[in-house]
Amino acid sequence: MNLNITIGQYYPASSKIHSLDPRTKLLALFVFIIILFSAPNAFGYVVSALGLFGVILMSKVPVKFMLKGLRNVFFIIIFTVVLNVFFVPGETVLFQLGFLRVTLEGLFAAARMACRLVLLIIASSVLTLTTSPIELTDGIEHALKPFKKIGVPAHEIAMMMTIALRFIPTLMEETDRIMKAQISRGADFGSGNLVQKAKAIIPLLVPLFISAFRRADELALAMESRCYRGDENRTRMKVLKRGRIDYIFYLSLILFGACVYFTRFLL
Amino acid sequence: MVKTENLTFKYSRINQKTEEKEYFPALSDLSLTIEKSEFVTVLGHNGSGKSTLARHLNALLLPTEGKVFIKGLDTSIEDNIWLIRQSAGMVFQNPDNQIIATIVEEDIAFGPENLGIPSDEIRKRVDECLKSVQMDEFRRRAPNLLSGGQKQRVAIAGVLAMRPEIIVLDEATAMLDPVGRKEIMAIVKRLNKEEGMTVIHITHYMEEAVEADRVIVMNDGNVVMDGIPKEVFRNIAKLKALGLDVPQVTELTHRLIENGITLPDDIITLEEGVEILAPLLDFSKPSETAKNPPSHMRQTTDIIELKDVSHIYSPGTVFEKAAITDISFTVKKGEFFGIIGHTGSGKSTLIQHLNGLIKPTSGQVIVEGEDINGDKAKLRSVRQKVGLVFQYPENQLFEMTVFADVAFGPKNMGFDKAEINRKVRRALSLVGISEEYFDKSPFELSGGQKRRVAIAGVLAMEPEILVMDEPTAGLDPKGRDEIFVQIKELHKELGNTVIIVSHSMEDIARLCERIGVFAEGRLQYLGTPEEIFKNAKELEKIGLAAPQINYLIRLLNEKGAGLNEDIYTIDAAYKEIFERIR
Repeated sequence: MNLNITIGQYYPASSKIHSLDPRTKLLALFVFIIILFSAPNAFGYVVSALGLFGVILMSKVPVKFMLKGLRNVFFIIIFTVVLNVFFVPGETVLFQLGFLRVTLEGLFAAARMACRLVLLIIASSVLTLTTSPIELTDGIEHALKPFKKIGVPAHEIAMMMTIALRFIPTLMEETDRIMKAQISRGADFGSGNLVQKAKAIIPLLVPLFISAFRRADELALAMESRCYRGDENRTRMKVLKRGRIDYIFYLSLILFGACVYFTRFLL
Repeated sequence: MVKTENLTFKYSRINQKTEEKEYFPALSDLSLTIEKSEFVTVLGHNGSGKSTLARHLNALLLPTEGKVFIKGLDTSIEDNIWLIRQSAGMVFQNPDNQIIATIVEEDIAFGPENLGIPSDEIRKRVDECLKSVQMDEFRRRAPNLLSGGQKQRVAIAGVLAMRPEIIVLDEATAMLDPVGRKEIMAIVKRLNKEEGMTVIHITHYMEEAVEADRVIVMNDGNVVMDGIPKEVFRNIAKLKALGLDVPQVTELTHRLIENGITLPDDIITLEEGVEILAPLLDFSKPSETAKNPPSHMRQTTDIIELKDVSHIYSPGTVFEKAAITDISFTVKKGEFFGIIGHTGSGKSTLIQHLNGLIKPTSGQVIVEGEDINGDKAKLRSVRQKVGLVFQYPENQLFEMTVFADVAFGPKNMGFDKAEINRKVRRALSLVGISEEYFDKSPFELSGGQKRRVAIAGVLAMEPEILVMDEPTAGLDPKGRDEIFVQIKELHKELGNTVIIVSHSMEDIARLCERIGVFAEGRLQYLGTPEEIFKNAKELEKIGLAAPQINYLIRLLNEKGAGLNEDIYTIDAAYKEIFERIR
């Protein structure tokens, strides 16, 4: 049992990007996604990529960590590309194989999609690598606050995220323990066909669920006993503050958006 | 400060057969007053209503009948609830299930944040409370990286940050190791003495109870005894009938009284014991038992042999950590072997090596002459041979009925139906679960029963070697005794090899033939209880201790009594002292 389970992929370092307000980073990611999807042509992607690369350099996080995120979604990217190649309708047929045909338009669409996805994933990696889960939760709570009027439960979402983050390692340890206990009683989690595997997992899942419910029950009591009543009249010890660096970042973001927009006049 | 008037509380439950609501009284007509700055310990077996009472003090439960007043505020009036919860802080049993935030200081801030206190004031309080529980250096730590004792300290700090006047500890020490328990008691005592905090401490540990100003004993939802510790503990027979324990010194002196020695019957601490007993002893008489040769090691074959076993977690990463290093020892066939060590000493990692759950990074684990990691196909038979009971084994119950759950092991081992049936019945009868429970859901049973069913689940595989990790953790004294009696019988009747990990030096001394002491992932000492507990000073350095009764003998010897110091059980101490009384 290893207790050093890291959640998320926070890479601790002291950089300008790390010290940004989490709300700034969240907003920036949001804006970046909009920019990506409205980029008019290949130059737009080049500029986006350059901008992102600049941020990565500033963040002092090794590039290989950024690419790690890509590895996990590699298949999704391939899948999207294949879908685009074969199923985007187009005029210029390059070659045909039965009902499958590859068109120039399809290839372009696939390339565009791949660029978007790769940049998008790298950009979100930058966010999660430079922002601790706690900051991220705080950021999300604050960022969602304006939407509370229309019924978005900002505080509840943030509290749920906090509790999830808090209990993931605990439940992982528990899973490990129950699994070992059942293996000691001769349980076999590894072999057999799919049905057998699914059946084998019951002795693990039932105790795990029971324990999770018990924990939830006890946690609720503990929260109540410490006067928790939702976000009614609730203050925070840490108050998020935007500093000069955040405003500089906002300005750069606007400039960057403008650059991408103006690439449409390059062709 | 705290007052209950004819407090009655009934749990309601739907009867599954009649589909009617049934009421079970948890508290009945309980009237109690606790003054400001009192340190009160509440004792009682599981199900006596202690926790239900605790939850009423915080308005987590409201009385069915009667009233509860905290600082004069009626808990049944809704407007009072927040003030009451802020003034009477609760610390619960399970350290894991009461920490909400992902870092320590944020968790301590949780209470004041809920109270709507301004940020800089919260910051001030958090700093103060962290210092008060000596967790300052861990303020940025994630809670899951802390020990149980540290987590409970965080929980206490979280309560203190709301500036309460009463602190209620609902079995807050039950899941901790001795070191953790001592830390918590030291903090709570200081808060009581220096800051006048009213403390209500629910516990199963008598050594904690004797430190209180007042002891309340509960049974069947009411107070049956109430007084200073001396008055309560002198009623040894009554306490035992209620399924409770008394301090070892009290037990010893009562044994002497029963055999015609005139002694006061209210001795509860070591110091008192020494003071009273020393003048009665004949210092000139030589000790009879001292000449007894030390008990010999069993002359049977080795059943388990560990050769330079080391285990490193996550080798080659930043998280690399040596859990155990160069462990070598043998366990004899039929031996009762004890393992002691503080939390994090590598005990759990070690026992998981014994049935191949963890492979050694280097070294060999040999069971009955064969390296268990030699042939992967044989692992299943190793696991049948070496039964491993984890800590809190009831957490792994999952089947619809008790019978089916116990049958899980033998079924996996591939036995036929008749054989499974026989094994299950035998295992359940060994742990004292009678036939009427076979078709019940394991989740309907009491805590002690669940534990025994879970142990039966391992026994049903009929292992030759039974390994148990703290089989009595978290149980009340009665539950603890039941389990130990059964393990002892099992060992005697079946002649199995038993390896037991425990924090209770008293139990280890009473049961084990040899003991291995672990610290920092190494085997520090190995020997008979006599050999091990001789080194009481060294044991203390690694967070352990000799049984309480041994300290009594040593203190008497310091006065010149010349008693045999190799005494670790009440029986032995009684014989030694009885012989020497003038």
